Amino acid sequence: MFYRLSGIHHTRYESARALWPVTADRRIIQGLLLLALAAPFLLSDLYLTSYMLPWLIWTAAALSLTLLMGIAGQLHFGFAAVMAIGAYTSIHLTRAGVPFELALLGAGLMAALIGCLFGAAALRVKGLYLVMATLAMQYLVEWTIINVPAISGGAQATLSTPDVTFLFVPLQSDGALYYTALLWTVVVTLLIMNIKRSSFGRALVAVRDKDFAASVIGVNPLRYKLLAFFASSFLGGVTGAVLAFCYYQAVTPEQFGFNVSIQLVAMVLVGGLGSVIGAYLGAGFVLLLPIVLTNLLAFVAQFDLIPISFNLLSHIPLMVYGALIIGVILFEPLGLAKIYDNIRKYFLVWPFRHTQS
Amino acid sequence: MKTLLKGLAGVAGAVALAVGGTASADKEPIKFALLQDFTAVYTFVSSEYNQGQQDYLRLINETGGVEGHPIETIIRDTANEPQRGLEAYNRARREGAVLVDFFSTPVSRAAVNRVLRDEVVMITALHGRGDASDGETFPFVFPMMATYWSQATLLADYIERHQGGLTNKRIALVHIDSPFGREPLPVLQELAQQKGFQLRSFGYPSPGAEQSATWSDVRRYRPDHVIIWGAGGGQQVSVREAIRNGIRPQNILSVVWLSETDARNVGGNHMNGVKRFEAVASGREPAVIQDIVTHVVEPGLGAGSAANVGSSYYNIGVATMAVAVEAARLAIREFGAPLTGDTLRRGFEMIDGFDARGLMPPVTLTAADHQGGGYGRVSQWNGQTWEPLTDWSNAFQEIVWHEIEKDAQGFRDGR
Repeated sequence: MFYRLSGIHHTRYESARALWPVTADRRIIQGLLLLALAAPFLLSDLYLTSYMLPWLIWTAAALSLTLLMGIAGQLHFGFAAVMAIGAYTSIHLTRAGVPFELALLGAGLMAALIGCLFGAAALRVKGLYLVMATLAMQYLVEWTIINVPAISGGAQATLSTPDVTFLFVPLQSDGALYYTALLWTVVVTLLIMNIKRSSFGRALVAVRDKDFAASVIGVNPLRYKLLAFFASSFLGGVTGAVLAFCYYQAVTPEQFGFNVSIQLVAMVLVGGLGSVIGAYLGAGFVLLLPIVLTNLLAFVAQFDLIPISFNLLSHIPLMVYGALIIGVILFEPLGLAKIYDNIRKYFLVWPFRHTQS
Repeated sequence: MKTLLKGLAGVAGAVALAVGGTASADKEPIKFALLQDFTAVYTFVSSEYNQGQQDYLRLINETGGVEGHPIETIIRDTANEPQRGLEAYNRARREGAVLVDFFSTPVSRAAVNRVLRDEVVMITALHGRGDASDGETFPFVFPMMATYWSQATLLADYIERHQGGLTNKRIALVHIDSPFGREPLPVLQELAQQKGFQLRSFGYPSPGAEQSATWSDVRRYRPDHVIIWGAGGGQQVSVREAIRNGIRPQNILSVVWLSETDARNVGGNHMNGVKRFEAVASGREPAVIQDIVTHVVEPGLGAGSAANVGSSYYNIGVATMAVAVEAARLAIREFGAPLTGDTLRRGFEMIDGFDARGLMPPVTLTAADHQGGGYGRVSQWNGQTWEPLTDWSNAFQEIVWHEIEKDAQGFRDGR
């Protein structure tokens, strides 16, 4: 009915393996992309710069992490440190006069290099032990940034991003910053979707599910684990640079602290491990929901219907937020992406209910 | 359905009342945005601070407002996260806020470029960038109280004048290992060279709940004086560890972040004799606090527990708003209503010798100096209260301004 599946026959592998084999899905994606492109004209600057922009950038970060955690099955609790390496590298490179486009590449490479160094631990340890190794990365990187003034920028430990141009457009106006972030997020999205349907992605999944079984069928776990760390850290490093230049415009070590790493892991888990749409939904949930709840409560509180102290008032969103996380995980352990998938599958065959899975 | 309708009618009535309430005020309100961290890191510090700010603004509104204009506050929790702070800032700016106070170093550092562009006044009392004291580089940022550099020099000056001089002494700086903890290092190193004392810094890992390894190093160094530099929960751990390692409380000096609550948590009379820098008088004696007690707290209009009134952080909050209100008053008198970010800034720069009726040292802000002289005093815990030991003074401001100018230059070069 809604998806009009009748008459869709895949007679060639190419069409069956397309990113969106169903026409209706393609339409939805086209509509969303158009909305995203029109956002600077549709939304006020508040919603563009404080909601859409950070949401897109954090989605790119969650996508980079889900490549490692969801697809390759390697836990990483220090991903904020990877982004920090990217952010600091790009700022120092542009300050030294390197064009921004090359600085982004440098940010990715530096993050990938250091990320691989710590990822090498993954060749020996798994699961919780890998969590410890990546936590060590988080703290070591933070410590290095704080204790080397040449990196952090002296006593104030704040580095402002210099004025740069990206593809001949000066990164000044809200629109330019937004489109740069959108471009990067779209690139990462397409990349992850393509990795998932390529032999590289399937090798990663094989390593995730059982590394010695993968080794038996000819997938070299050592090589693919390292490749996963390299690719994911590269994307994370560039995302860190985009975050610094398009959003914060000044970096400090606190912006990449341990709590940010935990938030990123939460985005991936709440959204759904290994899912692309899950990264979007998870980032929105973890990043924007506390803000929305705080504003909603402040709106209700201004009517003075119930007298509550401002201290309690600021803690209520936290309680609601916690309850919502538990609620989502209980309702659908596979995350927000699975909730979307269930709804889609329901409408796929509506009004019948044959293919519920 | 009926109850739902009733509820809706009630809400509508409340909206009408709220709208009518603001419309009936004489003049257009002035909006101050207090976007602070009530839930993550600063916890009791910012809730006491914010309570002081709200109570003072209530006092102003109860006694006629600023030249007839009431002050409205926009209060939001930012959880110390830059992205939440920036969202709250953008929203408050749209609602017409002319002043923001994040009371959080990470958030205010991320907001510096934006307030400079949007022409909104940001006060960064006892947090944020110290080099923002350079008003020509940071026209809309006002540290307005002693920066951490001024605090460090004042503590050194106290040792020199009252604790037997600095020459040939060993001084240990025990600090949290973060940019904030390392901030006093450059001025103290400069002073060590000038005055000929030995300085060694000892960092402990953030958040400072565990410091025992650091303090056994400090003990081996056998310092004459110890300066502790942390905030929040780490401070009481520092004091406790120092005493356990045989350092006399009299020889412990602290940055501004050491309060009555910390002393209670250390317990008993163990902390008697510990000294701290103070930027604002504590206790209920100052005339402003007395007024708040009569006009706000006793009629039951206070923003929080009455027990907090007069605590160190509460009074700091009162002082920040006293300066801001004074600036708004000067600006409206000089430039008339409505108040904008730019006229408020010029109001701040007209403040001359303002001491909030004895609550704080006289502050003079100019277009070049947004620190206001870097005044403060040293007080000592006597088991009950923080007892002032010296008069308001400042020290070695030429060293402080050397640092301010060096970092401000770095900021200008980075753009």
